[in-house]
Amino acid sequence: MEYFLNQLINGICQGAIYALMAIGYSVVVGVVGMVTFTHGEVIMIGAFAAYYIFFWSGHHILIGLVASFLASWILGYFVYKVCYERFFNAPRHVSLLLTIGFSMLIKNLAQIVFGPNQKPMLDIIQPKFFHLGYVQISQLQIVIMATVVIMATLLSLVFNNTKFGIMLKAVSQDKTASYLVGIDVKRIAMLGNSLGCGLGGIAGLLLAIYYQTIQATMGGALGMKAFASSVLGGLTDVRFSALGGLCIGIIENLGITVTTASYRDIFAFSFLILVLIFRPQGFASKIGAKV
Amino acid sequence: MTEQRSEKKLNTLRSSLESLQLWVRHNRGWLLAAAFVLLCIIPFFTTRSYVLGVLCRIFLYSILAGALNTINGYSGQFCLGIAGFFAIGAYSEAILSTAAKMNFWIILPIAGLITAVISLLVALPTLKMQGIYLAIVTLGFSEIVRLLALNWTPLTGGPMGIKGIPVPTFFGIAIRTSKHFYYLYLVMAIIFIFTTSRVIKSRIGRAWMSIREDELASKSLGVFTSRYKALNFMYGAFWAGIAGAIYAPYVRFIDSTYFTLDEGWNILSMMIIGGQGTLIGPIVGSVIVNYLTELLRPIGQWRMVAFALLIIIMMWSRPQGLAGTSSSIIAAKKDRRLRRRFATKQEACNDTAV
Repeated sequence: MEYFLNQLINGICQGAIYALMAIGYSVVVGVVGMVTFTHGEVIMIGAFAAYYIFFWSGHHILIGLVASFLASWILGYFVYKVCYERFFNAPRHVSLLLTIGFSMLIKNLAQIVFGPNQKPMLDIIQPKFFHLGYVQISQLQIVIMATVVIMATLLSLVFNNTKFGIMLKAVSQDKTASYLVGIDVKRIAMLGNSLGCGLGGIAGLLLAIYYQTIQATMGGALGMKAFASSVLGGLTDVRFSALGGLCIGIIENLGITVTTASYRDIFAFSFLILVLIFRPQGFASKIGAKV
Repeated sequence: MTEQRSEKKLNTLRSSLESLQLWVRHNRGWLLAAAFVLLCIIPFFTTRSYVLGVLCRIFLYSILAGALNTINGYSGQFCLGIAGFFAIGAYSEAILSTAAKMNFWIILPIAGLITAVISLLVALPTLKMQGIYLAIVTLGFSEIVRLLALNWTPLTGGPMGIKGIPVPTFFGIAIRTSKHFYYLYLVMAIIFIFTTSRVIKSRIGRAWMSIREDELASKSLGVFTSRYKALNFMYGAFWAGIAGAIYAPYVRFIDSTYFTLDEGWNILSMMIIGGQGTLIGPIVGSVIVNYLTELLRPIGQWRMVAFALLIIIMMWSRPQGLAGTSSSIIAAKKDRRLRRRFATKQEACNDTAV
């Protein structure tokens, strides 16, 4: 029981990171209108940016957050330029294959530049544990969950209270209509794509300090988990995607209480397949995105 | 003046290319026979097993990329998990021949059928949804297969893999050297291409292509789209399984590292570079990618970077692939129609604004 509760806490913490990845992913999918396979690599670049900035300029988490956000933002800009800008009207598989090619490119370049081996992440948060009855929770987990909550709140503020956010929502609902009311659709799509990627980069930083290791090939499975989480939320709904990420994190960590940790990814993907069999629209009431 | 001259040159070149095309189309049977004879006698001229090994890989990947092409190119579904089916075929062959000591020629169809049945289970939940869900499910499935192969030690040997896979025998001759495997792979590739060309020209193939062009229209014309999509998926997976089954005795040792996602991307890039939706496309892609693999071996890690760049350049400049034609026309038409619609909307907007 004790073990179970602790796994639940771990699951919620991991789910919070997945939720942030999924939020970024569903912002990208909503704004661009096409599914992307580069999100895993975006997350990886965020983690590496944080690693190097911690290495060079002290151990302050805020610097890391800014660095990983900016690095992923810039990568998101390139993703947009290479994969989407000219292909909004082309057949869908063109930009899909372009994102696959681009993610291959980034992953292999990262393996060359950063080295193929696992790197230990520096200790940013002091390892300290709090005990609440049976449950123990570390300072690191509290920081991670707080960061995710703050980012989600900020994003919802941007979405509901600023002009930019309202334009983002308009573009993700109907591109032609937003063009007609005078929104520069391509610019908003670019900025929205970069914003989603930046959130993915922050998720990468959080994953890096949670697992204490980073690797150039870490992106593949993470991108798929981000996709799975946002499928659970109906692909474009940001709030439900966050809920989906939380679910996948909890299920993974409860799943490995039954078996060994090497089956972790199998639980995540099997859960996705089961969801697609029984409720393909996820938590949302209808299948939202035409992707 | 110079422009005119160059245009004239271009025109003569174009007409000569067209006449060449016509000639090829006219003498197709002879050309195919000549190619077949050439491929048959290659092993007599080269004794280096390296060259034969590369040719074997080309045939093997022609089958794999062709199997993927029947799924992605002919019926317009989006499968990314071909490496998973390849792995299932290879592991079924390895397990059945080492643990059950069965004959290779009996295992061959069994491995294909096992893969096809498993692929049906994968495809069933996503048949009624749009392509991208199938893409992610197959991608996840490929990863699940790899992780199971890595962790299910009693069945698959786990990280130790399966070693000592027995070589097949053909009327008493043990297929052991790369020359023998060359002929085995050549025959399998020819059978695959012949079968696929027959299937594509049949009622089934036409149904697949109608699904690719417009699923709703083909449904309203009475095609059981979900049934044909499932059949298409099983057909592709069957041949991927066969490819796995002939791969296992060739390498004689398999473990999960052979079937990573990179392997899937490799096969996918062959299909894209060659051209989706054509019979010759995957073969062209397989020749180019495998040749490049050997050519770029000295630069090691940069090889995958080169492939990625090649995919991006291909999609930017010629999305239908080197050998593809038909899909490009459709794409261009769709593009023009969309642009026209958008333009009219823009004009309407301008009018109302005035």
